[in-house]
Amino acid sequence: MSRERIITGLLMILKMLVRRRIILIALVIIPLAFLTGIELTASQRMIPFRLASLDVKVFIEESQKQIALVFFAVANTGFLVSFLALNLIQIDSEVNRRLIICGYQPYELVVSNLLSLLLVIVTIAIYIGLLVNAFVPIKHLPLFIFGLTLIGFVYGCYGLTIGSMIRGKLEGILLVFLLANIDVGWLQNPTYYAEAHNNIIIRYLPAYFPSQSAIIAAFTDYSIANAGFYSLLIGSGFLILSMVIFYNKMRLKK
Amino acid sequence: MVLKVENIAKAFGRNKVLKNVSFEMNHSSLYGIAGENGSGKSTLLKIIVGEWKSDHGSISMNGRLGYCPQKTLLFSHLTIDEHFNYFAAAYGIHKNELSSRTELLMNHFNFKRYRNERIARLSGGTLQKISLAIALLHRPDLLILDEPYNGFDWDTYLRFWDYTNQLKGEGCAILIVTHLITEKERFDRIYNLIQGELI
Repeated sequence: MSRERIITGLLMILKMLVRRRIILIALVIIPLAFLTGIELTASQRMIPFRLASLDVKVFIEESQKQIALVFFAVANTGFLVSFLALNLIQIDSEVNRRLIICGYQPYELVVSNLLSLLLVIVTIAIYIGLLVNAFVPIKHLPLFIFGLTLIGFVYGCYGLTIGSMIRGKLEGILLVFLLANIDVGWLQNPTYYAEAHNNIIIRYLPAYFPSQSAIIAAFTDYSIANAGFYSLLIGSGFLILSMVIFYNKMRLKK
Repeated sequence: MVLKVENIAKAFGRNKVLKNVSFEMNHSSLYGIAGENGSGKSTLLKIIVGEWKSDHGSISMNGRLGYCPQKTLLFSHLTIDEHFNYFAAAYGIHKNELSSRTELLMNHFNFKRYRNERIARLSGGTLQKISLAIALLHRPDLLILDEPYNGFDWDTYLRFWDYTNQLKGEGCAILIVTHLITEKERFDRIYNLIQGELI
């Protein structure tokens, strides 16, 4: 594996990301617009709720506005990172193939893409974490940002998997947004599932552990170690799957 | 021998695109493969460069490969210089060598003034020149060009032949695939791909 090729790949991928206007708009404007919308519309009514990964006796009581801000921060991170990851792996796949014909190894491109994605995830998580903290006080800000990084990791790797499997852009976007919308954008909302008749299925969706990590860190003093560990495990599963598919698709057939 | 293609066959479903295609190329040779649209020319090239797998047969290659695909495959948000840097990393070209090679190619094909422009802002003809220059960047031993002069103006067309003749003189084997071969005397050998067979 050539370090020079990986660094060159990383720098070029980051340059391309920064130069695409839609990416900058998505990363900077969308979270700000969403959170401002919630700040302006959500009420201060106190809502009691339970977190599925904590003891059943543990009840948390926060205002509707606080819950909505934290939940939308998690949902936003998941949406944005999965969209970005899908783009990263799908958009220039034919040119990447040409690089491989010219001498790049598929795994060198994989590592460059992965490092770019990790940098983007951490940037988005820090930006959204600080943004939410400006609207509402977060109990453990560094851990909350770590929770957002975890949702970014899980959904980023999901985006990579879809991008490696599906060639069509619209089909890829549909599959990414379908799961992100149902899972991180709806079912993982604690005020929704706290009163759901059957919340077992929620625990088997990819956003369960990372969203639990972020929400626990935002509102309680409980540990996020368990939820964090399982988030990394799920994210790594998607990551391995996406890398195997990408490698097989891109390698030279000689 | 630089390239040996033996009994290559490829079918897409029931459509047999290539049937036992075989040929060899030596140093300092210029071969052309002509054929109608959809005759399987690009399929054959994609198999030779390793993009696709053949159903049958084998390919052996000696030396560095330069490949210019029919579609100008470039990153729309990178500049020309950045493309050269990226592809130089792929070829393993040292930075000191790279600057002299890029200068030479940019001057020869007359696109130096655009070196800091992003690809998305350039014309089709210029993109074709850049795509060709990328294939030439590492002084290949085998150069495979798929419809290379589509979109070239007359001056660039002549410069293209100047450069390929010079490369041929230095020992490079050049394979040009096109739907229309106009100057047959330039080639050492011309094959026609008809119904999946080289004639």
